[in-house]
Amino acid sequence: MSERTPRTWLLPAVCAVLFFQGSNVARKPITIERAPQRVIKDQYPSFSAVAVDAETNMLVVTDENLFQILEYDRRENTAPKARLSEPKRIISGPNTRAEMMCGAYIDPVTKEIYVVNNDTQNWLPIFSRDARGNVTPSRYLAAPHGTFGIAVHEETQQMFLTVQHQNSIVVYRKQASGDEKPLLTTQGSDTQWTDPTGSTLDLKNTLIFVSNFGNAQVLPAGSRGGRRAPESYGRFDPPSITVYPLDASGNVKPLRTIEGPHTMMNWPSHIVLHEARQELFVANDADDSILVFRAGDKGDVAPVRMIKGPNTGIKNPPGIALDVKNNEISIASMGTHSVLIFPVTANGDVKPARVIRGGPSNQAALNIGNPGAVGYDSKRDQILVPN
Amino acid sequence: MHDIRYDEVHDEFLVVNPFAEAILTFRAESSGQQAPIRIIQGPHVKIGGTRLAVDPVHNEIFVPDSGRIRVYPRDANGDIAPIRVIEGPDTQLARAASVAVDPVNNILVVGLNKTGDEPDGAILMFNRTDSGNVKPRAVIRGPKSEIIRINQMAVYPPKKLIVAAMPGVEEMMEPTTAFLGVWTYDDNGEVPPKWKIPIGPKTTLKKPFGVVLNPKNKEVIISDMRLNAVLTFSTPEIF
Repeated sequence: MSERTPRTWLLPAVCAVLFFQGSNVARKPITIERAPQRVIKDQYPSFSAVAVDAETNMLVVTDENLFQILEYDRRENTAPKARLSEPKRIISGPNTRAEMMCGAYIDPVTKEIYVVNNDTQNWLPIFSRDARGNVTPSRYLAAPHGTFGIAVHEETQQMFLTVQHQNSIVVYRKQASGDEKPLLTTQGSDTQWTDPTGSTLDLKNTLIFVSNFGNAQVLPAGSRGGRRAPESYGRFDPPSITVYPLDASGNVKPLRTIEGPHTMMNWPSHIVLHEARQELFVANDADDSILVFRAGDKGDVAPVRMIKGPNTGIKNPPGIALDVKNNEISIASMGTHSVLIFPVTANGDVKPARVIRGGPSNQAALNIGNPGAVGYDSKRDQILVPN
Repeated sequence: MHDIRYDEVHDEFLVVNPFAEAILTFRAESSGQQAPIRIIQGPHVKIGGTRLAVDPVHNEIFVPDSGRIRVYPRDANGDIAPIRVIEGPDTQLARAASVAVDPVNNILVVGLNKTGDEPDGAILMFNRTDSGNVKPRAVIRGPKSEIIRINQMAVYPPKKLIVAAMPGVEEMMEPTTAFLGVWTYDDNGEVPPKWKIPIGPKTTLKKPFGVVLNPKNKEVIISDMRLNAVLTFSTPEIF
């Protein structure tokens, strides 16, 4: 067999490579266009945040499952045998810039609805009193990625947003829109924010309360950085509520902290302050409970009241709203497709005064929210869904 | 959480908690508020990313973090530095957001993301044991690949397949460019997928975020962010 020269083997090799690459570029994908064999999906809303306007009996709730904003009459009470209560209006669709919504606010004057998106869209859209369907918002603000909570100071016309992904609070003009920048940012090693979620204002004592899940980012002392700042690292801290001056800005230490095993906090989400009663209400998501603290509490204190138990119907409550006029709190109960209304003095395993159900009472919520991945346990033949 | 991986050999599942920069390993039968059996977390760890892959054969965990891939011992617990890092200009790693590992053919597959005006994403293939500033053994990118950004990925070693969830343009709630794509380890360059499961009325898919394979039943399982649902497709042709 004669020995091949480089030229004799090189040419076919180059041609083969070119043919191979060319054939792949020209490859036409085989489209598998068929219906799924099985679908796991909740057909009913997952209520994440709630806001109430007592003057107009307007109750607005955000839905992280079907990406809706729903308005009910706050006096609605779903009959036990009814499948669900129909909302007065629904805002939903790709034009709304509203998707994984975590927070809601109703303007007490204009009755506009403000909602904040969390992980999938970086917008804070605002809708008019009459908006419904797949509408474009009246205006929208480019909010930081991972915004969770919204609290508004009506006297100064400022919006306070808690941002999970940055471990920060940003303050905007209430009328801000487009790419407008925040007026103030509070962030840094001294803030002791560990995944901030909800916030509420105490205008009487000029304070802001912030709830924290406990996913800490440890920063070098004095650092004004946020999450993933250089030289930072992660740590699990106990969940907490931290308290600051209302005009805090920059790298500010909390005035005091509520934290520890006696507090019973487990994923404290939205919080509301009853100024007249000087009580702080906490939607305690992972404990299926509502905790009430004295506004001046600090350290490892037990709540003064707790609404929890099978009679309450509370299951994974991220949202809470206060109605001072009617002395009620409204709870967004994500695990039961419902909004539960209790008197502000409720305590223990008590039934709600009213229930507004968005789904049948006998159907548990699936709680699938933003499923960024999926796993398969081949031993148990089970599908694993992180949220 | 943006990822979850079941380790069939050790009967565990793993997730990343990006806010606390931790890799958590749970017993597979865990339920309720059960604690993880191992936590990799601390100043030496430097997780960075939100997704991971586990190699139960060689006992390693891979975590993408934009410009690098960090590799940790699977059974590590505590403040452990990565045992190797793939990083440097030759790697072409930028916005690396997802990863899948094939312990049989010794391939590491990396998905690159895209936000805003950044360049479109890509699939990079490395050798499983690569370290430092190495060139990828193959790169799939370009308009004909239809890759814009990649979320979770899976591999199928017997047929050397890469399966990738493509959610399309990030800023769009219902992008028209989303699909599930399947390529092979032999693909390199501007290569269209071999198979694709499109979005649309027939498949009902809108925005595939996650994917995992069930070879026993010849199924592709997809999580869809816009539907908040998990859909199982019978796809015997790819297995």
